[in-house]
Amino acid sequence: MEDKLLNESYEQSFTKHIIGAGRWTLLLSVPLCFLPAIYLWIRYGALPPLGSILTGWFLIASIYGSWYIVEPISYFPILGLSGTYMSFLSGNIANMRVPCAAVAQEVLKVEPGSKKAELVATIGIAGSIITNLIVVTLAAVAGNELFKYFPPIVVKALDFVLPAIFGALFVMFSIKYPKYGVFAIGIGMFLLGVVKVLPTWAIIPICIFTTIGYAVTSFKRKNKADQSREV
Amino acid sequence: MNQEILRVANEIGVWLAAAPVVILTAIQAIIYTRLARKTAKELNIPDEKCDRAFKTGLLTAIGPVIAIFIVMVGMMSVIGGPISWLRLSIIGSAPTELTAAKTGADALGVSFGGPDYDLNALATGWWTMAVNGAGWLVFAGLFTHKLEGIRNKVGGGDVKWLAVLSSAAMLGVFGYLNSGDIKKGGGGLIAVIAGAISMVVVIKLTEKLPKIKEYALGIAMLVGMLAAVIFG
Repeated sequence: MEDKLLNESYEQSFTKHIIGAGRWTLLLSVPLCFLPAIYLWIRYGALPPLGSILTGWFLIASIYGSWYIVEPISYFPILGLSGTYMSFLSGNIANMRVPCAAVAQEVLKVEPGSKKAELVATIGIAGSIITNLIVVTLAAVAGNELFKYFPPIVVKALDFVLPAIFGALFVMFSIKYPKYGVFAIGIGMFLLGVVKVLPTWAIIPICIFTTIGYAVTSFKRKNKADQSREV
Repeated sequence: MNQEILRVANEIGVWLAAAPVVILTAIQAIIYTRLARKTAKELNIPDEKCDRAFKTGLLTAIGPVIAIFIVMVGMMSVIGGPISWLRLSIIGSAPTELTAAKTGADALGVSFGGPDYDLNALATGWWTMAVNGAGWLVFAGLFTHKLEGIRNKVGGGDVKWLAVLSSAAMLGVFGYLNSGDIKKGGGGLIAVIAGAISMVVVIKLTEKLPKIKEYALGIAMLVGMLAAVIFG
């Protein structure tokens, strides 16, 4: 009963507002993204022929078109509702939003998938967006100046930021679920090393949803075994 | 590269035209933080915990964002500062944006950043980046709430089941990302292994020193990078 009340108040005070704000921010950003291109048009009359814009659109959609749909669906089980709205506005999902959400949940020891976890992830992702905006603004204003202070060895080391983070996060979750971890790396290696022909936009959802499938089946089997033992 | 083009791409008007998107991203982060904090209060989560979550997000993002900084400096020299500022504040990673900008030049039949790369070519690139980003924004804007409905229907609100679901999804995506680096070998492979091993050590350490938990990923990242530079 209490749970039901809690669910309803959560629904009223959080979920509804998240959907409302998420929708208008994402959809409003679309026209705003065209402002610089429109500026070139108005100020300099630099409007590419419609044919070129459509060709560009066709070319780019043939590369990324599947991603538009596959990514939000694939990352949803990780990011949740508010995390998805935030991550698909601010981008850098696998390399920044997901790690920040995961580490924030780990630091505060909340059960992944719970309401508390969603709140913690939301705040953690917001923190990462602020860092992102500060550094990107700094780069835009003074990037060339600051770049001089980066020794070549540091620039080289920065190539390895992502593999190091991905390895570390994989272990963080594998410690809790070693069996699923082995399965996940197995399926990834199989698709990349043996099958080889699949496009990336297909490999990511296959990796995510087969691992989910495997985890859920073995979770249910274990639950059943536990129940029959109790009886 | 035509310097005149770059002068136009960096002029004040373009900064002003790029700013609304960056500001909108900040506004969304602020709205969501306030909503989450308010709801946290209702769920009896103390403010300090919310502060800690925010701080963790701020800190954990530093490593990845410095990597973006480096790529962005290169990007600015081809398409200009303000448009790079806009594009890297929102969906679409640096390689995606550069591909889109290059595709725009291709569509016009000129070489990207070459001597024939004129104002029209720059504009085509900017249009292409905007329509490409719109793909994600429109889909996520229109359908994210439907995904929530599906998750609730399938999971039936079972917390344990949801925990398994989100952890498995996390492992699935990192299993894939690591497989790519493992297969390529070299420094990337060393970074994966060193990052993984140091994470195990750091997790053991945080059992005794819970205060360093926020830095766990940062430490593992630095060890992984260092190992890759030394042994790669």
